[in-house]
Amino acid sequence: MKRRCLRDVQTAVDYAKSLQTGFCVMNILIVEDDTENGRYLERGLQEAGWQTVWHNNPQAAMLTLSGRVFDVIVLDRMLPGMDGVDALRLMRGANITTPVLMLTARTSIADRVEGLEAGADDYLIKPFAMSELIARLKIIARRPKKEIAKGAITLQDLTLDRMKRTAQRGDLLLDLSPLEFRLLECLMLHPGQVMTRTILLEQVWGYRFDPKTSLVQTHMSRLRAKVDKPFDVDLIRTIRGAGYAIDAP
Amino acid sequence: MPSTRPSVLRSAVFRRVIWACAGFVTVAMTLLWVVSGTMLFRIDAAQEARILESITYAQEVYYGRGADALIDEEIADNGVLIWDDDLIYAVLEQENQLIVLRNAAYDPVAGFPGLYADVGWHITQLDHPEIEAPVRAYLEALRGGETITIAEFVPERRFVILEFAWAITFALILIVLPLALITGYLLSRWVFRRIDGISDTAAAVALGQMTQRAPQSDDYDEFDRLAGGINQMLDQVAALNANIEAVSVGVAHDLRTPLTNIGGRLELISRDRMDAAAVEDHVTAAEGYLSQLLGIFDALLRLGEVEAGKRKAAFDAVNLSDLAQGMADAYAPVFEEANKSFSAHIDPGARISGDRELLEQLVANLLENAVEHARDAAQVGLTLRRDDEKTMLIISDDGPGIAPANRARIFERFYRADASRATPGNGLGLSLVKAIADLHGAEMTLDADTPGAVFTLVFPSLR
Repeated sequence: MKRRCLRDVQTAVDYAKSLQTGFCVMNILIVEDDTENGRYLERGLQEAGWQTVWHNNPQAAMLTLSGRVFDVIVLDRMLPGMDGVDALRLMRGANITTPVLMLTARTSIADRVEGLEAGADDYLIKPFAMSELIARLKIIARRPKKEIAKGAITLQDLTLDRMKRTAQRGDLLLDLSPLEFRLLECLMLHPGQVMTRTILLEQVWGYRFDPKTSLVQTHMSRLRAKVDKPFDVDLIRTIRGAGYAIDAP
Repeated sequence: MPSTRPSVLRSAVFRRVIWACAGFVTVAMTLLWVVSGTMLFRIDAAQEARILESITYAQEVYYGRGADALIDEEIADNGVLIWDDDLIYAVLEQENQLIVLRNAAYDPVAGFPGLYADVGWHITQLDHPEIEAPVRAYLEALRGGETITIAEFVPERRFVILEFAWAITFALILIVLPLALITGYLLSRWVFRRIDGISDTAAAVALGQMTQRAPQSDDYDEFDRLAGGINQMLDQVAALNANIEAVSVGVAHDLRTPLTNIGGRLELISRDRMDAAAVEDHVTAAEGYLSQLLGIFDALLRLGEVEAGKRKAAFDAVNLSDLAQGMADAYAPVFEEANKSFSAHIDPGARISGDRELLEQLVANLLENAVEHARDAAQVGLTLRRDDEKTMLIISDDGPGIAPANRARIFERFYRADASRATPGNGLGLSLVKAIADLHGAEMTLDADTPGAVFTLVFPSLR
């Protein structure tokens, strides 16, 4: 679902703020020549509490990048005078390793592959929902990552044993299907972050098409029936119009 | 339609026939004259050799034993001059030699007096009232002004050969060349007629008469094949045109409807500005229409990408068994939620050459088609069978199926069996399935004899 709506941001921001922790200010460089979309990006990301610098041409962006470090770059695919992919190759050639999310109006698979091969960390097709962009930026942004135990992840009373592929909440061993396990694992690897439907489809199933049916919702409700329903406190939250999140510890 | 026809004389066929015949005549004449010339030369050479042999022998006798011995031995009849017609005719018939020995005054001493010659070789005629046949003669000077002349009649077959050669030459020039002209003319007229039928069709189609087709005979010759090919091409063009028309109608209807709805909701927002709940409601609805619109765009673009065949370059070995199993796992709960039972039977290790992402989309579209269109409590099945040759993917439900009238059309863009468009979907899902199947060289059939819809895809297996 691609929805371009600032209300999504509100809910996602509300969620982030409600967590109190794990929300730090990110510096974002926006390279976008379309004024309308640039304004939309700037406003949306600033409302999410992030610092933004917006350039409408890649040359100026390169200049800024030489003097300042950003957490993440939002790069439009079609820029005046230079293809976004070429600009990205230039950045990577100049040893700028800042994570890059490419925006494009082109939907072809070949274009996406080209962008990822040029060094993009993620790829988003216009039009997109602001919540989707924010969720994806959070995943790829360069931030001090907490060491994630290879063996087990624990969140409050929920423990995920990644070696044995088992999950336990309190004293109760949860009977999860392999898919449900992967879904829970994906949420728990990004605690406190909104995981949108498309992100989950990509990361859990590896699918890049847009299902017409409630594929993710169905699996998620089954997972929640096992993880949350028998217990007093719900761990998995639905972020309205955006996706799902599991509360940070 | 072109009113002026190019002249037959300028036709490629005509000109080539003329050139070919001229070449044939030239080659034939050259061969003829080389062969007959050789034969004539050999006949002459043999005759000259015989005469020279006789001259040499006569010289030997003359210088060894004298003129009388020569007369005795070679000319006979004791120096009598031969003037006997019978003997001449016998010589003529037997192709024997004539001899005459003359003294210094060039008077015949012995032999045939009617044979005159100069020194060396000569073709001459005998001094005889009745015999006109030419002779080949050689005169050799002997001692003291005496001469000996030996001659043979030029052989009859020499004339036969010459006559034959000339006859053939004239026949070639007078008969074959006109015949070539006529053949060339008729042949090119015939070719023109066949080609005109085809080019008239092309011209008519260019002017917009799309239903015109090139005429075909029952011979199935090369012109029929050409006409058949062009007709097939025109059929394809007509089908594409029809498709474009259907797409235009689909675009007009399926894009206008959500746009109209969005416009309506925007108007309602400005009217209900004070009612926050109502605005919320309008925005949500408008967003729904917008995403429906974007879905159509994405599907159309994807369809274009698939049909352009660009993804073929990225083909790789895909384990269809794993892919199908993953899909089955993903969709099983969706079917359960939709109150339909779902079962998967998947042979392991089926590998095909393809694009994983597109194949996932194909299976998903077929499964979602079943989710939406199969009856309540339907049995939906996903089956994958493989052997060394082919891999068969079957997605089936047991009702209500697709009405026979709609079966041929369900792969068309924007076609929806439900004309009221009450059920969700944009009428592009199965078009995309078909396009992806075509890209993978998979044969796709829709079983007609079952109560439900059974889609069968046969992929070539990868070993």
